[in-house]
Amino acid sequence: MVMEIERDQHRFKQIVRGRIRENLRKYITHGEMIGRRGRDVVSIPVPQLDVPRFRFGKNGSGGVGQGDGDVGDPVGKPGEGPAGAGGAGSEPGSEHFMEVEVSLDELAAMLGDELELPRIEPKGAANITADKSKYNSIRQTGPESLRHFKRTYLNALRRQISTGNYVPDDPCVIPVKGDKQYRSWNDVPQPQVNAAVIYLMDVSGSMTDDQKEIVRTEAFWIDTWLASQYEGIKKRYIIHDAVAKEVDENTFYHTRESGGTRISSAYKVCDELIKRDFPVEDWNIYCFQFSDGDNWGDDNRQAFDLLSDRLLPASNIFCYGQVESPYGSGDFIDALGKQFGDHDSLILSEIPDKDGIYQSIKTFLGKGK
Amino acid sequence: MKLQDEFLKELQAIIGQANETVSVADGSRVVRGQIEQCELLAVAVSEFVLKTNELAGADISKLESASQSLCKRVNYLLEPISPIETDADGCVVQMRSNPPLQGDNSRCYYELFLRRGGSIELCRYEKQSGAARVSVPATLTHEVLGRLVADFDATVDEILAS
Repeated sequence: MVMEIERDQHRFKQIVRGRIRENLRKYITHGEMIGRRGRDVVSIPVPQLDVPRFRFGKNGSGGVGQGDGDVGDPVGKPGEGPAGAGGAGSEPGSEHFMEVEVSLDELAAMLGDELELPRIEPKGAANITADKSKYNSIRQTGPESLRHFKRTYLNALRRQISTGNYVPDDPCVIPVKGDKQYRSWNDVPQPQVNAAVIYLMDVSGSMTDDQKEIVRTEAFWIDTWLASQYEGIKKRYIIHDAVAKEVDENTFYHTRESGGTRISSAYKVCDELIKRDFPVEDWNIYCFQFSDGDNWGDDNRQAFDLLSDRLLPASNIFCYGQVESPYGSGDFIDALGKQFGDHDSLILSEIPDKDGIYQSIKTFLGKGK
Repeated sequence: MKLQDEFLKELQAIIGQANETVSVADGSRVVRGQIEQCELLAVAVSEFVLKTNELAGADISKLESASQSLCKRVNYLLEPISPIETDADGCVVQMRSNPPLQGDNSRCYYELFLRRGGSIELCRYEKQSGAARVSVPATLTHEVLGRLVADFDATVDEILAS
């Protein structure tokens, strides 16, 4: 039976989720929640929810039918009477926020609903196995929390019948230590569909902190969605200016270099990474590249060769997001469009500012690949 | 000073004309400007470059240091200039307006390249929102263009002396 408090709690959760859904576009765009990310949950600040409550008046301080006056006198209205001391406050009122925790799976579901994202169809067979614990056996020993109630009493009944201690007119079954049975687990190898997400970012001098913030926000939502679609997800990060290297997540978001922009250097490192760690037949590979598109002229040819020969055939999708820098976007996105046209695995998106993140995520993940 | 004087003299000769290329040389240094329109006080120049083969042996550290000095010296354009990207492999330093000029619906900036080999180039770009950026002529007075010639010339001298 559902307890009253559980029903209230469920209703409260529904209200909170409704608020988050209403404001999801804002959260996607501004990424307040990323800093509050835990392992499986995120804390989201939602505007204070108004809970209805009684307000008490001042008893005996007047009102209809009390005090001086004759029959027929009009009742006083609020606001009439002498002005009190003091003026209007000069400080702005502060909006109160309440932090609520939402699981990443739930957030992904909301994202999928909001952006109408199709579920991903993994390519190929799942060749990678991982051990999963399954509670599918019984043991004589174990913690009391795993005691198998039914089997324990069945054992006790058998024992009592075989020893002649069971009296049908007084059916009392009392288990002893030897009757106790406990649930136990076995490690079962299970096929897993795995995905590797490789982020590539231009950290050359023309990419500012604002551009990186956009990349960070977009990557958070991409991660959230892909993690909801795959059992195991591996993330790798590559930064580049004129040279590229693989880095950890923190370095990825907080590095600024002053070198020139050679996108082919990042493609080379990405290709080596895929060859080394993610055999194409076993992995669903997703590449997300972000740059301001100011590639140094002579490098486009080399970048295109690597993309068409190595990266596009290996990837489920290869997404290129061109983030606008203070100098505007470069022409790499146009060059890609001209070179590859409507290639099935290549998805291009221009992100002029934070408001562009929403559409860009929809473009990247809308293919369901 | 020879390059500067010669260049200004050439400009005087084309006042009132459009789509002219002005080119002056001093030894192996050549200054060339693609002049879209030349008026009494100012010119619209779409391409402005000093070319020389004296920088063939320059390394990236020398170019970087010279680009810093050039940016300090060239403080008379519409926006301050600073080095933005350096390509050590290609031995090129890119400088741009920092920050770019922000209009209501567009952004404009100068872009300069200092290359080993070598050359110093200047051009101006405009980026309208929602459109690709395009190269636009830079409108500069004769005096400012003369100063640019002198400063480009001095930059080559600085690299050779370092």
